[in-house]
Amino acid sequence: MQYNSRNAGTYAVLDLKGDVDLSCSPDARKQILQCLEAGRHLLIDLSAVSYIDSSGVASLVEGYQTAKKKNLRFGLVGVSSAAMGVLQLARLDKVFPIHASVEERMSADG
Amino acid sequence: MSSTANVYALLAKGEAYSLEDQLELLADVTQSFAESLEIEATLRNAIEKFMQYLDAEAASIFLLDTDTVADNPDLVCRACAGPVDISGLRLPGDTGIIGKTITSRCCQIVRDVSKDPDFAKQVDADTGFVTRSILCTPLIVRQKCIGALELINKRGGDGLFDDQDRHLLGALASSAALAIHNARMADRLVEQERMRKELELAREIQMDLLPAPGRDGFPVVGMNVPAREVSGDFYDFLRRDDGLIYFSLADVSGKGMNAALLMAKVSSLLHHLAREISDPGELLTRVNVELCESISHGMFVTIVAGFLDPASGRIDLANAGHQPPLLHHGDGSFEEIVATAPPLGVLAGCQFPVTTLKLNDSSLYLFTDGVTESLDENNRPLAVDGFIELVRAAEYGPAARRLQGIVAELRKPAVSQRDDITLMVIETDGDRRPDAMKTQQIFALHFRAEPERLGPVRALVKRAAQSFGCNETLADKLVIAVNEACMNVIQHAYHGDGSGEVSLEVRTNGTQVIFRLEDQADPIDLKCVQPRDLDELRPGGLGVHFIREIMDHCEMGHLEKRRGNYLEMRKAID
Repeated sequence: MQYNSRNAGTYAVLDLKGDVDLSCSPDARKQILQCLEAGRHLLIDLSAVSYIDSSGVASLVEGYQTAKKKNLRFGLVGVSSAAMGVLQLARLDKVFPIHASVEERMSADG
Repeated sequence: MSSTANVYALLAKGEAYSLEDQLELLADVTQSFAESLEIEATLRNAIEKFMQYLDAEAASIFLLDTDTVADNPDLVCRACAGPVDISGLRLPGDTGIIGKTITSRCCQIVRDVSKDPDFAKQVDADTGFVTRSILCTPLIVRQKCIGALELINKRGGDGLFDDQDRHLLGALASSAALAIHNARMADRLVEQERMRKELELAREIQMDLLPAPGRDGFPVVGMNVPAREVSGDFYDFLRRDDGLIYFSLADVSGKGMNAALLMAKVSSLLHHLAREISDPGELLTRVNVELCESISHGMFVTIVAGFLDPASGRIDLANAGHQPPLLHHGDGSFEEIVATAPPLGVLAGCQFPVTTLKLNDSSLYLFTDGVTESLDENNRPLAVDGFIELVRAAEYGPAARRLQGIVAELRKPAVSQRDDITLMVIETDGDRRPDAMKTQQIFALHFRAEPERLGPVRALVKRAAQSFGCNETLADKLVIAVNEACMNVIQHAYHGDGSGEVSLEVRTNGTQVIFRLEDQADPIDLKCVQPRDLDELRPGGLGVHFIREIMDHCEMGHLEKRRGNYLEMRKAID
C-alpha cells in the first residue's frame, strides 16, 4: 500500500493506493486518525485501492466514528470496484458518505 | 451439672416439673433431633428421656410401615424404653390404643385399660408386662399421621396421666415427627445417590460392551449417545479371522435398565455367533429362537446385522424390523435398503431374508429411530429426510469425524433428543471422501503466518479460481474469503506473533472448489468463531461474516492426528 495526503479546501484528503490488507492497515489507521486528531475534515480516496480486507475496512469504520465524535466531516471518494465489493459485503456502502470525487463531495457540501 | 441434667435429677426425686423444665426438655430433644440423621439411635435416646421425664414405666414409638402399600399399613415399634423390649414388634395398623390414636389423629389418655374395649391385651399376654394406664399421641407431619408415641403406666402421683402430660407429650411428638420425616428424606436422597452411582456404573459397563474404534481407515465406525444413563441401543463390529467384518446396530424396545440388560444379552449372543456364522439371515434366526424362549413379555429388538467383505466391498445384511439403512452413493444420491422381517423376540419360526449390495464408492448408514425422531426447533421430527440433510452437510472427511458432526447437530440445544442416538457408517475405506476420486488438487502451499504473505496467497488463489473458469466477480470473492480465513489464523490462532505455519490446499470436484486451511496452533475455541451482527457498527469481527457470506459451506474443527485447527470452505462453481 502507498498513501499520500493532500489538502482540498477545508478537507484533508488521504489517497490510499494498492492493497490495503493486514500488512499495512495499521499504517492506514494511523494516517486516518492523525488527520482527525489534527481537527481536519477528512476524505479518503479509494480510487487506486486494488484490494481491501476486513482490517482495512475496520480502519475506515474507526475513522468514521472518530470523526463523528469530533464533529468533523468524513467521507470516502472514488471508491474502486474492488473496495466497493468489500464495503457491500460488510453492508457499509450505505453507512459511509460516498462520493465519486473530492469535487463532487465539496459541491454536495454546498 | 448442666441444666438439662438438672431436670432429670429433679425427676429422679419425684418432684413436679415446672414450665421451664418442660421447655428445657423440649429444647434438648429438639436439638438432638436436629443434629442427627441417625434416626433410630436418636429415637431410642429420646424415648428414654420422655419416659423418665413423664415418669412412665415404659414408652414406645410406633411408625406406620411405609414399605407396605396396603390401605391399612402395619405398625412397627421403632424405639422403646422400659422393662420389656418390643422394638421391631409389628402389629396390624388398627391395633389397640395406638391404632385408635392414629385413626382419630387425637391424643388418647386411658386411665384404666381394663375398662377400655380398644385396648389390645395380646401384647401384655405375650410380654408378661402389665399395662394399667396409657398416654398416646399421634406423630403428625405435613398433615400426615406417620405413627404414634405411647407412654405406659404413670409411676408417681395417682398413677394416672394428666392434661399436663398430654400437652408436653404433644409438643415432644411434633418435634419427633419432624425429625423422622427429615431422616426419611435424607435416606431417600442417599438412596437416589446410590441408584445414580449404580446407573453410572451400568453405563460404564454398557459402554465397554461397545467395540473400541477400529484403526484409522477401518471400514466400520459407530457412535452411541444414550438418552438416559443406560441405553437400549447398541452397535457392534468385529473382524473375523477370514477377513469378513461383522457389523450390527440394534434398538431394544423400552429404555432404562431392562432394555440395557436385554441389550447386553443380545449383543453378546450375536458377537459370539458372528464368529461362526457368516449368513446374516441365519445369524438372526438363531438369536431370534433364543430370544423368543427367554424374552420378557412385550419386549423386542429391531436390528440390522451383516457382513462386509472389505476386499470386494460386498455386503450381506438382514433386517429385523429396523429402520432401513441408507446408502449414500458416490454421486451424492441416497437409497434406502428396504428389507422387512419382524423384530427379534416376536415370532419364533420366522426367516430373515438377506440383501446383498456392493459398496463401491458409497457409504452405508445404519441408525436408530432416536436419530430420525429427534425434534427440531419447531418440534418436528427430523425424519429420514432431515437425516439425509445432515449426512449431506457432513459429506466429506474421515467417517468418524462425519459421525461426530452429525451427532453434534443432533445434540444442539434447539434439537431435543428423545431417545438413544446410535449411528454407524460403513465404507470400504473409513477415511476416504465420497468424492475423493473426483477431486483434483489445484495447488497446495505452506506459508509463515505473517501478514506479508497474504498478498502472494491472494494472487495464487485468484489465478487458481480463474483457471477453473470462475468469472472475475466470483474469483474476487473467493480471494476475499480465503484472505480473511488466513488473517484469522494469523491473528487469532497464532495471536499475530508470526511464529507458525499455515497450509492451504485448493481442490475442485468439478462442481465445487474446496479450500482447506490447516494450522499448527493450539486448538481454538470454536464457539468464539461467530459472525457478528452487522447492524452494530464497530471496527472488528467482519472476517467470519465475509467467509460465511461468500462460501456455500464452511466447516472448522480441531485436527485429529496432530495439534492444530482446520477450516474447510466450499463454493459452487459453474
